[in-house]
Amino acid sequence: MVSSKGISVVFLTVVLLSTQLVCAGIRPETVVERQQRRVETIARIAPSVICVMPPGGQGGGSGVLISADGYAISNYHVTSGSGNFMKCGLNDGNLYDAVIVGIDPTGDIALIKLLGREDFPFCKPGDSDQVQAGDEVLALGNPFLLAADFTPTVTYGIVSGVHRYQYPAGSFLEYTDCIQIDASINPGNSGGPLFDIEGRWIGINGRASFEKRGRINSGAAYAISVRQILLFIDHLKSGRIVDHGRTEFTVGTAADGLVEVQAVSEISEAWRRGLRPGDELVSFGNRALTSANDFKTVLGIFPAGIRVPMTSRNRDGVHRNTVRLLPLHGFDAAPQLPEERKPKKRPGDPDQEPDEQPASPHDEKASAVPKQYAHLFKEKKAFSNYYFNELHRDRLLNPLRESLAGSESNKTATWSISWKASDNGTLGELIVGTEGAGLRTEKNNWYQPIEDQHPSNEAVDLWGVLSASLQWHRLFQADPDLFSEVLYIGAESLAPSGRLVETVFIQDGAVESRWYFTAESPLPIGVDVVMGAGHDEARLRFDGWENGTVPFPNRIGIVNADSEQIQWLSVEAFDVKSGAVNAEADNEEAAAP
Amino acid sequence: MRTRVILMTAVCLALPWHEAVNATVKSATEYPAVSTGQQVVVKLFGAGVGTLDSYGSGVLVSEDGHVLTVWNHLVNTGFLTAVVPDGRRFRVDVVGTNLEQDVAVLKLATDEDETFDFVDWKTTADVLPGESVLAFSNMFHVATGNEPVSVVHGVVACKVSLNAGLGRWTFPVKAPVYILDAITNNSGAAGGLLTSASGEPIGMLGREIRHRDTNMWVNYAVPLKNLQPAIAAILDGRRYDSNASKDGEKSVLSDRQLTAGFGITLLPSIVATTPAYIDRIITGSVADTAGLRRGDLVLMVGDDVVRSTTDLRERLSGFRKGQPITVTVNRNEKLEAISLRAP
Repeated sequence: MVSSKGISVVFLTVVLLSTQLVCAGIRPETVVERQQRRVETIARIAPSVICVMPPGGQGGGSGVLISADGYAISNYHVTSGSGNFMKCGLNDGNLYDAVIVGIDPTGDIALIKLLGREDFPFCKPGDSDQVQAGDEVLALGNPFLLAADFTPTVTYGIVSGVHRYQYPAGSFLEYTDCIQIDASINPGNSGGPLFDIEGRWIGINGRASFEKRGRINSGAAYAISVRQILLFIDHLKSGRIVDHGRTEFTVGTAADGLVEVQAVSEISEAWRRGLRPGDELVSFGNRALTSANDFKTVLGIFPAGIRVPMTSRNRDGVHRNTVRLLPLHGFDAAPQLPEERKPKKRPGDPDQEPDEQPASPHDEKASAVPKQYAHLFKEKKAFSNYYFNELHRDRLLNPLRESLAGSESNKTATWSISWKASDNGTLGELIVGTEGAGLRTEKNNWYQPIEDQHPSNEAVDLWGVLSASLQWHRLFQADPDLFSEVLYIGAESLAPSGRLVETVFIQDGAVESRWYFTAESPLPIGVDVVMGAGHDEARLRFDGWENGTVPFPNRIGIVNADSEQIQWLSVEAFDVKSGAVNAEADNEEAAAP
Repeated sequence: MRTRVILMTAVCLALPWHEAVNATVKSATEYPAVSTGQQVVVKLFGAGVGTLDSYGSGVLVSEDGHVLTVWNHLVNTGFLTAVVPDGRRFRVDVVGTNLEQDVAVLKLATDEDETFDFVDWKTTADVLPGESVLAFSNMFHVATGNEPVSVVHGVVACKVSLNAGLGRWTFPVKAPVYILDAITNNSGAAGGLLTSASGEPIGMLGREIRHRDTNMWVNYAVPLKNLQPAIAAILDGRRYDSNASKDGEKSVLSDRQLTAGFGITLLPSIVATTPAYIDRIITGSVADTAGLRRGDLVLMVGDDVVRSTTDLRERLSGFRKGQPITVTVNRNEKLEAISLRAP
């Protein structure tokens, strides 16, 4: 149909290929067979779909179970009106208690945990990046709360568009990189899963273009992609109010169709990596960019605080770097839904969420917290449920204390490490105690006092090592009170290796750091330390922990911010002794880079 | 031709959208039916009026960048731009309109050697009730730059003459149109493309209108077949307006002629009695020289009272070149008589 020549070519191919298919004995699936397969798929996926309701049982939305221990995903705009504990109905007709875990108000996602079973049915995620316009989809949920027995309603449709961007409703609830579908989505569908025709979970239905017909299906609904949700799930398990990320530069679409950097903050990491206005941004988050809209769409799927790869091009060539995303909103408390998102909204407004049915006012008396689960919720500023943060923080840090077991005196002792650089053979020694940390290399000495840490006290070549080691010394005592703040961030992918790590964030005076743990070992594999705005992070990696009197790494790696390469130092000796660290240092030489 | 289409759709009915095509055509793209539709639908951006939106859809119908769309308020307001599927943005001129088919043909203001993928409107097919269709449009302007337009699926419910309209405006197309079970009656969808499940062009998505009997919003598409004579005439530069040629019909200046000749753009005639407010004056035009201004409400032409934009276009069409015309306007609550000569 593209041109008259094109038509005939396509037609010819149709005939030829049809002939070949028949010859090869490949028979297309019949309508009946196809229908039967669809029925089986729906029977398989329906048990994971839940009805999410406030404790009184009036009103509600939908959700989907993602693990046997009861973790389930719904929309933030569904759970936000339901309190910290809610009721969830499964298609077996049973009602379960559930507790809020983590929320992502910007992405309109909430993670809840159903209680009372360890063998919940759950769905399996597909790859939403492989979804294309024209794919068949199934939306499951509880529109209009029709199912008194919680059997989900199934609506069928096709994908109308992918990588869609929908502007924030009010100040947040921004849908980026979402999947647009024409399956019917109505009030009550919110938070429910979108599946591909094979039954793989690919999204959460949360929003629709409502217009002149009122708040009913219009043929244009939007599902948050599973790719985005998967990037957030392990952060949501931390019980935090998870934020989305922002960059410290802006882009626009240039006249020639390239994505051009417009402004760059001069104290930003991107600036230090050489990014300047006028440079071309080729890719971000491993996705090629063709417009400024692309950039906005892909940026929106990442949580704040993670490091994202990007490729830029200027006159000197192509540059590959990573930048850490800053927080977008910095919520201290669960934000209120925008006015139009609250019950009793005006009909006819486009682009609103097909929300939960408004809760009836007389269900407040029923909102009592179930007694046997009351301990599963803890309130704290900037957290949706601090209980889960403590749980994971202690899970990661307590083994560190245990690794010092039997040597209680070691935590007040001085630890010293000497090493040889694996590339040029230069030697160095690091000494860390309760008062401060010192560093001696063949050229200079440096000293970082614990009470007044400052970037200028750090060695140029081994930037941040002193502050990092001061934290290392205290971290093994697993006492959160030794720092300003210790919190569990969640699981994420670590640059440059891409390894899946669990992150513990430490605020130590003005110094911020992120310690990384893997499932293989209780000991950290690295730390990134931020000494202050305008300075690059110290990015240290640890390898081959030895169990001496105190566990110490065999190798210490330093990640180069520009090349993303790791320079490894081999630890030659490790010693634990009593006494203070020698405070002599040639601080004039120790200017910050 | 007809045989071929029916043959293909028969196969397609048994299969989903892209798999239908995959199973029979292993072409370069994985979803040819969808991507070909997306390659020829353009996003139109203009001026909104009242509750009517400032965006719409159109279909490329020539290699040179002619665009087929509904003759609605967007076309009338002028200042149209089109964003083609690769994201490039062009100014758009109105080439011709046809009242009877409710259709307008636009042209992208392009360099001479620029070419575009387009729909082969000359070899369109007819589809029967029950057949699967895909509808492509920029409904709700979900897409803005180079993002592909939206696609929804459905079946043809029936093919009937439509008694519909919006307010006092009555749907002018008398020939039967396709009624769809897909929701195409959405903001910005008008002018989009209807294809068979295998991607063959079969119709142009209609406006946001209600059925006169039920007051329900109607999802319809005008068969491309019905539009062929109008498109051909407009592309050839011929006038194709069978209403105007009928005996007893009053001749009416088109909005485009009014703009080109007098240099006046009026408010789009949404209802039968849209007041004849001047929306824009082209600098240096007859109207500009005579002293007409934006915001003037035309009350009389000569001794004839003007009640609507249609009235005004009808009155002005009666003058030959060079004839003196006196126009009485209401400007800031005062009447002013302005003299000009017919262009």
